[in-house]
Amino acid sequence: MINFSFQKPTSITDAVTALSKSEDGLFLAGGQTLIPVLKQRLAMPCDIIDLGDINDLKGIVAKKHSVLIGATTTHSEVEASPVVREHIPALAELAGHIGDPHVRNLGTLGGSLANNDPSADYPAAVLGLGATIHTNQRSISSDEFFVGLFQTALDPGEMIVRVEFPIPEKSGYAKFPNPASRYAIVGVFVSSFSGSVRVSVTGAESCVFRQVSFEEALAEHFAIDALTDFAVPSDRFNSDLHASAEYRAQLVRVMACRAIIMIDEEKKQ
Amino acid sequence: MKALGSIGKSIKRSEDKRFLTGQGKYVDDINLPNQVYAAFLRSPYAHAIINRIDTSGALGSPGVSLVVTGTDWLKENYGPLPCTSRINTFVGGEKMKVPPRHCLAIDRVRFVGEIVAMVVAETKPSALHAVELIEVDYEELEVVTDPEEALKPGAPQIWDDIPNNLCLDFELGDRIKTAAAFDSAHYIISRKIKNNRVAGVPIEPRGAIANYDDDTKRLTLFNSSQNIHENRDAYAIDVLKIEKEKLHHVAPDIGGGFGVKNGTYPEPPLILHAAKKLCRPVKWVADRSESFLSDTQGRGQVSTVSLALTKEGKFLGLRVETVGNLGAYCGTIGPFTPTAGTARTQGGPYGFASIYYYAKVVFTNTAIMAPYRGAGRPEAAFQLERIIEETARELDFDPIELRKKNLIQAKTLPLRTAMGLDIDSGNFVEVFDQALSLTDRTGFSARASAATRRGKLYGFAIAPYLECTGGGSKEFAGITVRDDNKIELSVGSHSTGTGHETSFAQLLSGYLGIGVDSIVFFQGDTDRTPFGGGHGGSRGMEVGGSAVYEAASTFIKKGRLLAAYILGVENSRLQFSNGVFFVSGTDKSVTSEDLIAQSAGSEVINGEFGYGYLNVSATFEREIMSIPNGCHACEVEVDPETGGINIVNYWAVDDFGTIVNGMLTDGQVMGAVAQGIGQALMEESVYADSGQLMTGSLIDYALPRAFDVPNIRIQYYEEAPTKKNPLGVKGAGEAGCVAAPHVVFNAIADALRNFNIESLDMPLTSEKIWRTIHRR
Repeated sequence: MINFSFQKPTSITDAVTALSKSEDGLFLAGGQTLIPVLKQRLAMPCDIIDLGDINDLKGIVAKKHSVLIGATTTHSEVEASPVVREHIPALAELAGHIGDPHVRNLGTLGGSLANNDPSADYPAAVLGLGATIHTNQRSISSDEFFVGLFQTALDPGEMIVRVEFPIPEKSGYAKFPNPASRYAIVGVFVSSFSGSVRVSVTGAESCVFRQVSFEEALAEHFAIDALTDFAVPSDRFNSDLHASAEYRAQLVRVMACRAIIMIDEEKKQ
Repeated sequence: MKALGSIGKSIKRSEDKRFLTGQGKYVDDINLPNQVYAAFLRSPYAHAIINRIDTSGALGSPGVSLVVTGTDWLKENYGPLPCTSRINTFVGGEKMKVPPRHCLAIDRVRFVGEIVAMVVAETKPSALHAVELIEVDYEELEVVTDPEEALKPGAPQIWDDIPNNLCLDFELGDRIKTAAAFDSAHYIISRKIKNNRVAGVPIEPRGAIANYDDDTKRLTLFNSSQNIHENRDAYAIDVLKIEKEKLHHVAPDIGGGFGVKNGTYPEPPLILHAAKKLCRPVKWVADRSESFLSDTQGRGQVSTVSLALTKEGKFLGLRVETVGNLGAYCGTIGPFTPTAGTARTQGGPYGFASIYYYAKVVFTNTAIMAPYRGAGRPEAAFQLERIIEETARELDFDPIELRKKNLIQAKTLPLRTAMGLDIDSGNFVEVFDQALSLTDRTGFSARASAATRRGKLYGFAIAPYLECTGGGSKEFAGITVRDDNKIELSVGSHSTGTGHETSFAQLLSGYLGIGVDSIVFFQGDTDRTPFGGGHGGSRGMEVGGSAVYEAASTFIKKGRLLAAYILGVENSRLQFSNGVFFVSGTDKSVTSEDLIAQSAGSEVINGEFGYGYLNVSATFEREIMSIPNGCHACEVEVDPETGGINIVNYWAVDDFGTIVNGMLTDGQVMGAVAQGIGQALMEESVYADSGQLMTGSLIDYALPRAFDVPNIRIQYYEEAPTKKNPLGVKGAGEAGCVAAPHVVFNAIADALRNFNIESLDMPLTSEKIWRTIHRR
């Protein structure tokens, strides 16, 4: 790690101003990606602006049709939140299986989304639920937010403030974790809103995406047998040390089915 | 000498409170006044000529006090790190080819991570920054990472004077007799069996602080080492060319070793040099990435294994030909593992009239290989139990019956195996039967059907194992009576988290009949322990514990004379039992604790017997290794849709002779089984063809987590203590690593009995399993 100046503002305005004044500054949320990158000397910002003391970025609130989660809410807070558990249990489940307890106690929703790691869990939930990302400047729909590998629609200096998750009729998330990192080799989020279905996939490509063919099939018949005969094309899929594209394609179908099974099991309870 | 009740009890570890509350003292917790920091420039290429190194940028960088390259190093006339493998002669009589392993690359780099330069600076960041300013002109050479490829004609030559990259070949056993056995066999089954290359990954990375005292001209090295005496000799005598007394080697608390911290490394001599040069303490602690690149790694063998048997399934002969990967240099005892290390226990607990083992040990452009928990015995057991399982499968033998009918019978002991191991004790059939009865075979079909209903495949495997333990043969133990009436017990070996502080104190407490609280344990300092054999080969209790026994015996012998003096009786009338010296039928008695208390303060006693009369220095030296053995079994569930594996049940029956502390022994079994499961299912150190390490962090190198490891049901067979040491113990530390990989593999093979598993090798990742099931 190299030396940098460290600031911990208490308001969004102060944080944004601090960043704009810095030649080469970065926001720090939970630090679960940024700190290792700094330690490996792969990033050498001159200023780090810690968002941890900004109250406006915190908290979980339920509205009539949505749940609002502040950007610096940690994964373990989402996992434990009675509000999230009541309205979108699949989201709490997802948060509870990110990384390990250390990561979940520090890592944040906003940090994960702004980083947009191709194997991260949260992008699947945001895209799979059709959430809206509220920044200090505007509101961005999830369909527009995730642009590419580690790329988002955020402009330089733009900060995620909170994320608004519409409450679905039902939703489920299943992932096949990388045995080393616990990131998703493939993770699939399925949600259903009065007839319309969203299916998002993380881990398989360079960026989270919607599996439209599954959405259409499930809109007609919301059950795993709707997906039985689907061959998922793998030509755009990642192939690496941990999984080939062909294997990932298999996992996309299987994880989609398991997300649906999770929904079914939840309904029985 | 009879032990008191505390031996055998599961006493809780006295060191745990310290470790669990952050009070442990590891190398990184030590900081010396005025210390500076070393950082290393490591090669980004697996094989390249160094044309030029420009260190001017680094030297001019703020805070930098020293930059050292290979050229500088040679000017100091330092020697290379030695290879001390006692297996060092080709089958044809030629000497092993040991290339010089200097602490810095001289004019050529041979693996990614090899040290090219050292920078010493006021702070760690300034040292790291300066490292980035060193410019090196590399000329890339062709790379070979696979040992079989490295042997082929035309392969890249890693050392100009070592043809075909062949360091050594080796044989053990009777080649002609084995050939005859194969000629007479009804069946011969052969398979190519790989043992995956793995990283040790101790939780505490390597690290050291060097200090130089200009008054005494003495160097001190605080080092995360599990073998301080041998390391000291190598660093002092071989590399720095100073007397060994001029290097004081200290190991504080050690956070795991597994073999990684047993051999020598370039960093300690480099920082010793810097400390001397700068007259300031120099500190270096590896980060995790540095550890993955530069720690020694283990296993990494490929073998052709052939089993000859009669029509009825009686084993006649075993032939194993191995190619072992050494990495780019000979590690401290690197050539040992794929040669004698893997040869000794060939044949396991089965009766083989003839076995022949042959190995080639080969250089590649990869990090250096060394013994890793088990050091050859896991490889041998895996080869054997895989070929037996494949034989049963191919010839339709019942795998349980095939094993049982070939086990060595207890009544034939003692015996010497075809590989020359002396088995003095054990009952392999009984241990096998005990394990089998633990596994509830009658309930298997119900468990399997339940899994089938859930859409899963279910498999079972059971296999015995046999290994040999003892490591370095000689160990020191000392007792010092302190003024505060406590006694200090010191042992020359070192705990790497293995609980010596508890178990050795427990032993001494049992022998002398004094409270565990009265014993202060001390280890890890060459000034206070005259010699020691390090921590390897499961020798902690077997050799170290036996040295404690010898120290206790001497203490009691001396104590008897003192007791006779105090009680005013003939020493021949005294008996010792339960911590009390007494004259039978009288009220004359004195306890060990009284003796200690009285001798500490008494001028009369000091005058009569000499100061420190009760202090003891003892040595134990074993003659032959002990033979732990056991039988492990497991059941697995395979998810055919994902290839995911769940180990549902795991059972272990182990014969470690006498058990001193069952809870600590359980910990050893669990930890080693976890590592065995890791090797079987997920661990592999992968090098790309370019020689780049693909698994250079915990993001990519998979270690088993708590939920990957099942509840392990452990039982000990204590009816067969060994006579090879006074405690009757057989080493326990590595057995789980020897026993687990093949049991897990074979259970998966059983679950996949309807599929072709011929190309399956460890680690059995989910994708490999899925491809097997779906024939892709």
